[in-house]
Amino acid sequence: MQFMLLFSRQGKLRLQKWYVPLSDKEKKKITRELVQTVLARKPKMCTFLEWRDLKIVYKRYASLYFCCAIEGQDLELITLEIIHRYVELLDKYFGSVCELDIIFNFEKAYFILDEFLLGGEVQETSKKNVLKAIEQADLQEEAETPCSVLEEIGLT
Amino acid sequence: MSDIVEKTLTALPGLFLQNQSVGGPAGVKASFSSRLGGLVRGITALTSKHEEEKLIQQELSSLKATVSAPTTTLKMMKECMVRLIYCEMLGYDASFGYIHAIKLAQQGNLLEKRVGYLAVSLFLHENHELLLLLVNTVVKDLQSTNLVEVCMALTIVSQIFPREMIPAVLPLIEDKLQHSKEIIRRKAVLALYKFYLIAPNQVQHIHIKFRKALCDRDVGVMAASLHIYFRMIKENSSGYKDLTGSFVTILKQVVGGKLPVDFNYHSVPAPWLQIQLLRILGLLGKDDQRTSELMYDVLDESLRRAELNHNVTYAILFECVHTVYSIYPKSELLEKAAKCIGKFVLSPKINLKYLGLKALTYVIQQDPTLALQHQMTIIECLDHPDPIIKRETLELLYRITNAQNVIVIVQKMLEYLHQSKEEYIIVNLVGKIAELAEKYAPDNAWFIQTMNAVFSVGGDVMHPDIPNNFMRLLAEGFDDETEDQQLRLYAVQSYLTLLDVENVFYPQKFLQVMSWVDASLSF
Repeated sequence: MQFMLLFSRQGKLRLQKWYVPLSDKEKKKITRELVQTVLARKPKMCTFLEWRDLKIVYKRYASLYFCCAIEGQDLELITLEIIHRYVELLDKYFGSVCELDIIFNFEKAYFILDEFLLGGEVQETSKKNVLKAIEQADLQEEAETPCSVLEEIGLT
Repeated sequence: MSDIVEKTLTALPGLFLQNQSVGGPAGVKASFSSRLGGLVRGITALTSKHEEEKLIQQELSSLKATVSAPTTTLKMMKECMVRLIYCEMLGYDASFGYIHAIKLAQQGNLLEKRVGYLAVSLFLHENHELLLLLVNTVVKDLQSTNLVEVCMALTIVSQIFPREMIPAVLPLIEDKLQHSKEIIRRKAVLALYKFYLIAPNQVQHIHIKFRKALCDRDVGVMAASLHIYFRMIKENSSGYKDLTGSFVTILKQVVGGKLPVDFNYHSVPAPWLQIQLLRILGLLGKDDQRTSELMYDVLDESLRRAELNHNVTYAILFECVHTVYSIYPKSELLEKAAKCIGKFVLSPKINLKYLGLKALTYVIQQDPTLALQHQMTIIECLDHPDPIIKRETLELLYRITNAQNVIVIVQKMLEYLHQSKEEYIIVNLVGKIAELAEKYAPDNAWFIQTMNAVFSVGGDVMHPDIPNNFMRLLAEGFDDETEDQQLRLYAVQSYLTLLDVENVFYPQKFLQVMSWVDASLSF
């Protein structure tokens, strides 16, 4: 996979993960153009695009578009499942995930994504293993800084 | 050591669950009161881009002051870092924060380190000068007794690492290949995969260790090694033919449901693994009868097993079909695969139809009759409302063009061209039309007209070879002298007419062609 973008129906970027080295300028240009192209697609159309020399696979979940770019190797369908699996992971972690969860906790969304896809490739681990790895790290966080819990509630 | 860590970890949730659950809704509530939450809500309340810019610039100035202040704690730094990531995501520059991201990863505790590493992976790129500063931290974390830190280090290495410093970490990572915990082994394999991608000669000597990973008792580690094998086999399939048996065995086990149930995805066993194996087998069996024979059985079974109507099953089916057509042909398998393609093409689901068309394009050389079987559907797709389907159909037609159908096909292509605005498509399609026109043109008039249409639409973006070839063709001509004269005459006449039309804009290259033709050929 070359990159994954998450954006809202208004075209606001919520998450961007790039697996290929590109300059900031190029990234911005690609993001801008791709978002426009995907938003222009109608619901009944194919969720695969050929855009420049890339293949784009996208899927909309409620108000969020998940958009992946893959190299030409005919992996469109399985990429759709990668997106779906990522959504399942987010759902399990946040408990009925919605766009707000991703906006306000985007760093957690990134952590989950990095456990699931490493270097653009799927780490074939069961859903259980991915979430366990995140939870272990989360627990360690809590263990290390018990005072943060009180701070969050505003008691310090 | 890790057992003790695990026991401690499992005892902790009881202490904390009363106050805050891991992630989940409570986590969200906490974030609402965070500084990031405030910033996000602030942005959402604004209505114009100008106001957003002002607010973000304010935020960035305050962040800049905070990150440079000596009194800022690491905890505060982590919080700032999250907001910096957010600002960069919105498109604003926060490069002053990059060095602090590295420092955070270096000096922070687990919580802070995690955010630091994340920030580094998002901010920097492979050739960034600051990246070298990360290496020491990575080396330290790789040797940490805390497994989570080791995982973080391996994760960052798999995402971004300076090529020149690979030797500094390579032995440490190689060492991790034998770690008792499978998550570490798996991440180590993926880190080595990254190294293979950016500096293949640096990992030449450890190919033997990849074999061990392939035979690892943990499915995740084995699956990770497949990424490396796929690349290596792609470059040199003959070096790995001896592994064909192993790959076939693994695939048989997966398809036969021998993996732990955990690895099922919607009742399908390890789909990503299946697909990766199918791709590898496709490469190994190409043009090689003996090797292909080893895989016919398992391919047959895969085709049979993929009965469910879930997207992921279609994905596996599609890959199976692809593999069947790549390897040494076997007629029974080809028949089954052809039936599959048929189901795709006729499917009401638009994604599958698109893939069916794609598959047809792919197999057209080996099995031209398949396209004929589905020609009604193909013709319908030509007028499909979705431009992507239309374009795929044109791709397919381009491959089955002959002297009889060239006029219709080129006309459809020109129609598509007129409504297309994307430069990439225009260049591509114009090239194809020019090629077909030259090859199959039924008569001179049609040829000149078509080329004129190509020039006016293709204009200045098309490949310079196209007008050059055209002019050369007119100059050198074909074998028949009278034909050539007529062709040239027609060309000259038509251009004179075109140039007479007022208030019309012709692209530069078209004008060049017209002027050249009129100048050199009108005698």
